[in-house]
Amino acid sequence: MSQTVNPAILVENLSFSYPNSERKALHEVGFEIQSGEFIGVTGPAGAGKSTLILCLNGIIPHFQSGTFQGKVLINGRDTFETPCAEISRLVGSVFQDPEAQIVAPSVEDEIAFGLENFGFEPADIEQRIQEALSLIGISHLRYRSTTELSGGQKQRVAIAAAVALRPQILVLDEPTSELDPIGTREVFDVLRKLNTDYHLTIVVVEQKLNVMLEYINRLLILNQGKTVCDLPPRRILEEPELLTGIGLKVPPVSELAYRLRKSGKYRPELPLTVEEAYCGIVQSLKNMRNNHD
Amino acid sequence: MSAVANYLPRNTWIHRLNPLTKMLWSIILMTLSFLYRDPIILAVLFLSIALVAYMAGILKEMLPAFKGLLIFAGIFLLFQIFFITEGKVLFYVIPGTKILPITDEGIFGSLAMGARLMVIAASFPVLLGTTQVKDLVIMLVEKIKIPYTYAFMFITSLRFVPTFMQEMEQIVQAQCSRGHRLENRNLIRKFFSLCPLAIPLMITSVKKAEQLAISMETRGFGLGSRTYLHQIQFRAIDWGISLGMLGMVALSVYLNLQGIFQ
Amino acid sequence: MIKVNDLTFQYPNGTPVLRQINFHIRPGEFVALIGQNGTGKTTLLKHFNALLKPSSGSVQVAGIDTRKSTTGELAKKVGYLFQNPDHQIFMPTVEKEISFGPGNLHLSKEEVKARTLEAASQVALSEYLKENPLFLSKGQRQRVAFASLLSMKPEIMVLDEPTTGQDYQEGIQIMEMVKKLHYEGHTIIFVTHDMELVARYAQRVIVLNRGQVLLDAATREVFYHPEELMKTNLFPPQIAQLAQKLKTNRPDLDNVLSVEDLYQELIRLEEDKANVCCG
Repeated sequence: MSQTVNPAILVENLSFSYPNSERKALHEVGFEIQSGEFIGVTGPAGAGKSTLILCLNGIIPHFQSGTFQGKVLINGRDTFETPCAEISRLVGSVFQDPEAQIVAPSVEDEIAFGLENFGFEPADIEQRIQEALSLIGISHLRYRSTTELSGGQKQRVAIAAAVALRPQILVLDEPTSELDPIGTREVFDVLRKLNTDYHLTIVVVEQKLNVMLEYINRLLILNQGKTVCDLPPRRILEEPELLTGIGLKVPPVSELAYRLRKSGKYRPELPLTVEEAYCGIVQSLKNMRNNHD
Repeated sequence: MSAVANYLPRNTWIHRLNPLTKMLWSIILMTLSFLYRDPIILAVLFLSIALVAYMAGILKEMLPAFKGLLIFAGIFLLFQIFFITEGKVLFYVIPGTKILPITDEGIFGSLAMGARLMVIAASFPVLLGTTQVKDLVIMLVEKIKIPYTYAFMFITSLRFVPTFMQEMEQIVQAQCSRGHRLENRNLIRKFFSLCPLAIPLMITSVKKAEQLAISMETRGFGLGSRTYLHQIQFRAIDWGISLGMLGMVALSVYLNLQGIFQ
Repeated sequence: MIKVNDLTFQYPNGTPVLRQINFHIRPGEFVALIGQNGTGKTTLLKHFNALLKPSSGSVQVAGIDTRKSTTGELAKKVGYLFQNPDHQIFMPTVEKEISFGPGNLHLSKEEVKARTLEAASQVALSEYLKENPLFLSKGQRQRVAFASLLSMKPEIMVLDEPTTGQDYQEGIQIMEMVKKLHYEGHTIIFVTHDMELVARYAQRVIVLNRGQVLLDAATREVFYHPEELMKTNLFPPQIAQLAQKLKTNRPDLDNVLSVEDLYQELIRLEEDKANVCCG
């Protein structure tokens, strides 16, 4: 069967406001995400990031009431007309609070939960549990109690539980906000693997820009319910005002390189990582080159 | 959850029995204990429970529970013994008077009551020690047709007990840090002094519940035709044991009616 | 201000959490406590207002031995900001929430009112006094919680991940308020995972690893010992990492922590070289 030409996600003119609220949480948002992309979403508090995630996984409009306008198409299917259960087969979701999304007392049962709900055969469930655990690299946690896991482990269990349903898209709402730096890396490394090795389309809301920018293909910035921009990370670094203008922080190494370049002392592409910044500076500044230069 | 009701993972055939078989065992013990009033037969029934615990490798963990039951049954027996005044008077508690007579019927009857109490209560920790609550609930859903939603609520509330304990601890500490004291003397003041703890707990719980509901929704909760990873089968051994036990009950009832065993 | 002597703490079940901890914090210091999750940072913080008491060793706060005091008494000396403001907010208005703490201190009505108004203005919430805190944003609620401690006028402020779950702007806002308190003479101890914040605000850093103090030094010194830090799976802030690498080329580079300083350093080095060439 040939691959459909539909984009993985198509959002058109999407507006949403919660009941009893004057303000639109989302205001005429529109974008397109192709299959296999790794998209970051960021923005200050109240930008509508979480609302956007709920629109992508069908919780809005099926579960959360409010005023919904515009269109969200997942693989060409309109979420408004598709039952929530069908959307959740296509879109896996992971949320912020690891404590509030784990339902089962053991890791194994947690991952089985969704599969059991969808009525998979036990043999199938068994196979998918194994697959999801090894994909996420947490096979050793299988028989552990979910209450005794660390925050990073809990979030990876939540990802495994979502991935076990073999969705085509994974959406995550600030999955690392309760995690320490090492837990944050654990989560993003898993996401990168799912994206590159398994072609999973990923949409992740994140505040920690200096981590996220290393991983994503495109960054969608929201502010007060509207799209500010939708660009590859390096393009955004070229226009740091896009971030600073709405109170977001440019990664320090990128900011440094940007300033050096303004004074004519940095030539290569703006860096996303410390390593890139180091190479760039050594290349650009005469007195940083090795002696034999 | 108290330690008595904890699941004790072991790899024994009793652990592997179907939860329903073990539940039937509990119910049958209860039935038999009401059928008999001979303390010796009841004591044998109790020993059979201890034997099952031994075979399941959890006798050591059960001993504190059994000991507690013994003490409880002892107290119960002491009370009971004075209330049964039928039968032949053996002696009086205060010698030389006719106060508080102890009769043969009294001793016999209260021993039976105490033993019965022990039989009824002792099977539960053994049942819960060898069976995961989750499996028990799943069987109740599958075979006895209890709605899954209720069963799920029960299992999930067990899962959230430690979470809410942690939340509560945080809240108590946060309010303590602001100089809050729990009042004990006056009932009304006590009520008001609980507000700073109860309100945040309620609010955080509601938030967690909302989150949980969304998370469940995205994983197809409540679709209907649900399956289970662990198909707990009712195997030949379950049939054998269950039928054996039922046979025993039938035999006991028959003998009981014939007046052979009392 | 705070003296920690040979502090060891274990839970009743015997799991040791803190082992042999020693340090003194002088009045007016601004200290960051860092380390991986589960390494005992929060457990240590809770000793500063007697929420926990040492299994052995001692903790003295403002001259008071915590073993002989209670959290309620120490509330006048130590303000403790919890990570999640939802764990403490229970009043229907911001004003009532902020006045709850001073209300527990047996002060006059006028004094409570005056302190409430002052604390609200310190956290820029004067406009919100009559609002229900439930309907404020997460960052605003954190500031309500913060004000409800300020109104008790503590000398020491202890903050457990004060910026977690907030956006950059909200986090900076809270930290700027903390900085102002510090400027006014308060002693500050905070826990965070955000090394950029540590670099920007803390004068001194204590690194915990598996319940023990691994490093305790001025912020620069700690961040320019990356090998030590890596033992705890922590990384210095980007600028310190970059400068550390650049030092292999230019050992005379200064130990800087901010973008501005590294920028100036690089420009200076480049111009020095130019001068040497041409001069």
